Amino acid sequence: MTKQITIPLYEDLLNGFNNTSIHGENETIQEARRNGFESFKRLGFPTRKNEDWKYTGITPFLQEQYHINGIAKEAEISAALINQASIPSLDSYRLVLLNGQLQTPIDTLPDFIRVKSIREAKENVDLVKYFGKNTDVNSFHFAALNTALFSNGLFLEIDAKAILDKPLHIVHAFTATGNLFIQPRHLIVVHSNASLSVIETVVSENPLSKIFVNSLTEVVVEENACFDHYVMQIAQIGTRLVHQTDVSQKRHSVYSNYTFSMPKADLIRNNLHVSLDDDQTETHLYGLYLGEGQQLIDNHSFINHKRPNCNSNEIYKGVLLDKAVGVFNGKVFVQPDAQKTNAFQQNNNLLLSNKATINTKPQLEIFADDVKCSHGATVGQLSKDAMFYLRSRGIGEEAARALLVNAFAFDVTEKIKIPALEQHVNHLIAQHIPVNKN
Amino acid sequence: MLKIKNLHARVEEKQILKGINLVVNAGEVHAIMGPNGSGKSSLASVLAGRENYEVLEGEVDFDGKDLLDMSPEDRAREGLFMAFQYPIEIPGVSNINFLRTALNEIRTYKKLPALDAKQFLRLSKEKQKLVEFDAKLVNRSLNEGFSGGEKKRNEIFQLAMLEPKLSILDETDSGLDIDALRIVASGVNKLRSKDNAFILITHYQRLLEYIVPDFVHVLYNGRIIKSGTKELALELEEKGYDWLKETFQEQTVQL
Amino acid sequence: METNDQIIQDITSQEYEFGFITDIEMDRAPVGLNEDTIRFISQKKNEPEWMLNWRLKGYEAFLRQDMPIWQNFKLPHINLQGISYYAAPKTKKKFNSLDEIDPELLATFEKLGIPLNEQKALSGVAVDAVFDSISVATTYKEKLSELGIIFCSFGEAVQEHPELVRKYVGSVVPHSDNIFASLNTAVFSDGSFVYIPKGVRCPMELSTYFRINAENTGQFERTLIIADEGSYVSYLEGCTAPMRDENQLHAAVVELIALEGAEIKYSTVQNWYPGDKEGRGGIYNFVTKRGVCRGANSKISWTQVETGSAITWKYPGVILQGDNSVGEFYSIAVTKNKQIADTGTKMFHIGRNTKSRIISKGISAGHSNNSYRGLVQVGPKAENARNFTQCDSLLLGSECSANTFPYIETKNNTAMVEHEATTSKIGEDQIFYLNQRGINTEKAVALIVNGYVKEVLNQLPMEFAVEAQKLLSITLEGSVG
Repeated sequence: MTKQITIPLYEDLLNGFNNTSIHGENETIQEARRNGFESFKRLGFPTRKNEDWKYTGITPFLQEQYHINGIAKEAEISAALINQASIPSLDSYRLVLLNGQLQTPIDTLPDFIRVKSIREAKENVDLVKYFGKNTDVNSFHFAALNTALFSNGLFLEIDAKAILDKPLHIVHAFTATGNLFIQPRHLIVVHSNASLSVIETVVSENPLSKIFVNSLTEVVVEENACFDHYVMQIAQIGTRLVHQTDVSQKRHSVYSNYTFSMPKADLIRNNLHVSLDDDQTETHLYGLYLGEGQQLIDNHSFINHKRPNCNSNEIYKGVLLDKAVGVFNGKVFVQPDAQKTNAFQQNNNLLLSNKATINTKPQLEIFADDVKCSHGATVGQLSKDAMFYLRSRGIGEEAARALLVNAFAFDVTEKIKIPALEQHVNHLIAQHIPVNKN
Repeated sequence: MLKIKNLHARVEEKQILKGINLVVNAGEVHAIMGPNGSGKSSLASVLAGRENYEVLEGEVDFDGKDLLDMSPEDRAREGLFMAFQYPIEIPGVSNINFLRTALNEIRTYKKLPALDAKQFLRLSKEKQKLVEFDAKLVNRSLNEGFSGGEKKRNEIFQLAMLEPKLSILDETDSGLDIDALRIVASGVNKLRSKDNAFILITHYQRLLEYIVPDFVHVLYNGRIIKSGTKELALELEEKGYDWLKETFQEQTVQL
Repeated sequence: METNDQIIQDITSQEYEFGFITDIEMDRAPVGLNEDTIRFISQKKNEPEWMLNWRLKGYEAFLRQDMPIWQNFKLPHINLQGISYYAAPKTKKKFNSLDEIDPELLATFEKLGIPLNEQKALSGVAVDAVFDSISVATTYKEKLSELGIIFCSFGEAVQEHPELVRKYVGSVVPHSDNIFASLNTAVFSDGSFVYIPKGVRCPMELSTYFRINAENTGQFERTLIIADEGSYVSYLEGCTAPMRDENQLHAAVVELIALEGAEIKYSTVQNWYPGDKEGRGGIYNFVTKRGVCRGANSKISWTQVETGSAITWKYPGVILQGDNSVGEFYSIAVTKNKQIADTGTKMFHIGRNTKSRIISKGISAGHSNNSYRGLVQVGPKAENARNFTQCDSLLLGSECSANTFPYIETKNNTAMVEHEATTSKIGEDQIFYLNQRGINTEKAVALIVNGYVKEVLNQLPMEFAVEAQKLLSITLEGSVG
């Protein structure tokens, strides 16, 4: 349908599949790869004519000559790179992945939690059971591509009834000597009645090379399970992130996602899809994006209410500086069966520069009648009266601005359940609010 | 402490102060009264440095420094405090964090060491008690969901915490019931000393029964048209403002 | 819940009351669309060459465009070659007085509640009646002309005021704007034209009444309203069509131009035949309406009550070009059976201190699909632009859907844009409360719905607010959420 031949990368990727040896992989995964490949061949890369990419032109980011997947030489992981991900006074377990490859040795974890690289885990029953089940490769270009050509990633599962005593911090570090197109793939399974808190931090080095990361994480939250999922995106200039998360929630489960998109990376495109597959689930999606320079940060979320009595709550806050462009598109879909749905969605934006742009499109599509759904979106700037009030109490302009931006973000940051992380996020915000940038 | 000389100012093309002269010394309490729209609150705004007010003429000396030359925060750091007529609500900024930031910025300016959490809390407790401010309100977001009276009491609590030299209370009595008014007034009375001064801006004489002023000024049409002692306030209460307006207009005609 | 189902049933079986057909001799263009069709229409209307050329440009643009694909409903195939693009009652060219109009026609409008006889007419309302493609009568013309107000059919304006038409037509909705606007440019038959001179406040409501009657035709009218500096006009359009099994296309274009300090209030009560409960027949209402606040301190306000049509697809918008200009959009859209309504507005903030306000109330019942789709765009130079949007959807029944698609694009950091939307059904507790006070469920729903849409109804001129309220209660008769 859409012509893709203008992008050499498309051809390279198609050839890439032909050359990739998928022998030795589990048959289910091989099958998924083939489907993904056929689908990508048909879909190609999205253009701005595609409603989901209306405000985000991806083509400029695909022009470089990229090495595809793990072809780039495995670089040494530098302490500086890991440091970028560190969260002061955080007490956690930690895993490190370099270019999608799990690094050893790993922290000793309790027995009830298992961590493997997704390629090693190929015959794991649960991997086979859940892999690709919640990802729609027929409509999502990058999901199809990832499924076809993912290199490696993490398979993480926590046993039923297990509770991890402190957060698991997963550092996704990316580095390259040439331009790199890399596609990690992860699967997280939280079994019934288990409780897990994960912080994923994405960091990259700032070489002259471009790194395009097309990552896909599948998450399964089984009955009565509870999963707090934090994502910190603090990648550097030159890095382009397309980050898809496909979540499936079972009865009585609670899933909370917190996504913090921080300055620098050229492009961040998040696709967060939550499928409420059973009754009485609870979903919280919190997001904060802070755009700087020429950055483009695009958050797409899709909450699919399929069953009755589910609650979803989404709050995204954006702060845009310089020439940054922010995009928010939140879709709440309520299927005919999903009676007694409560869905709340809100997106607020602060434009702190006269060159910054925000495009927001919250949307409700409702096919059941006994529901309470609402959404709101605002675009504005710091209140002059509030600024004056703070200054009249002796607080300097810079400090006042930082206070007010932190206050703006408060609805999201206060929801963070890990104090060290909350502090860290507030610190990152304050750090990026410059003086006199009105 | 404060010397205002021939102050003219405007807001959005409209001239609202047309030559104010006023001297306030340490230890004094001045009341500025006047009908609606006479320029009372504008005077407070100009002194505190609100952006949309433009000074056209005149000077203001604050303890030997040119007040009009300073940013709003520097005026505050120099010891000028304005209790707002409509204190703003800032959700997400906790009252206590806000006050600590303000206090420490002022201390840093004065080259004093910042207070640590413990010292700050002790001070806060002490002042809360002094001005009868509810501890529950201290930990909430700044003025968010406060009643009118609670907001005004928060202003007085901040006044107590920041210990300014000169405090301007802009219609602090408006919208207060008699109990809240009594609490606010007793807070102010406790904070009065020979080293600080107060300017009370009010429409009614009522507040002045609780906080007795040394001087009363009547502001009308951007100028102080009459000054006197506390008896003037009583006279105004009895006769209203009209008799003064008439005299003033006659004077202007003669001029 | 039984009563609910019963009542939903009632809504779906509600008859369309304006579905009769007038038997009248018609002058028609041959079926199909090509350059000859356009020349035929232009010649019939005795148009100057520039008008024909503009039509042909519209046709070229039409040929270049495809049918839209971004909508969230399935667009049925429309055979644009299968309809006749011109149908007019066969009479002499110009009526000297109302007496010369076919009595059958007059009777039709009487039946629709639009008497064209000035003695009987609604006081304070001047009416231009359009039957199929042709304006048949305009009332109060002389009285208006004393003030210099021009209110006539579009065709007449082309003949009598070519300089005004030529200057403004296509200046708000260009000939290549979208496929339906291009089609309209090529084949539009008639419509209304209004010009309010400088400083004149139009003393009465101006109104156009559209009626599609002929079978197998489309209606492509064009309205152009120009409010010169400091003037004011309030304009209302109403429409109905007979019940027919096939779908008919209505692709109108409305252009409003408000010069400095002018105000235009445009109200629509749209009640085209919506099709039957199986979704057979009904009008496809694909309309392009746009106004421009060209001068400083001007204002354009759209109010619409949409109850008819099988598919309604329209976004009356305002280009806020002049500093301090104001755009407003108030909408009630009711859908039932298998109706589809995808409607909303577009507000383009270009000038400084521009303000827009959007209030949209959707009510869906039956198997219908009701969407709000709106764009608020703030350009880089629109200092201090302000927008407030409130969209509410009410669902009556579990088979229908309500969607909200707001697009907000801001490129200015002094702008304040606020959007709020809610979707809910009528609260059982509200109904119970009213029941307990002795009000039956049906009345209770009517009361609640009326309260729900009041903010929009209040925007309508008095005479029409009453009519619209009646229309709503008929449409939703017997409905319980």
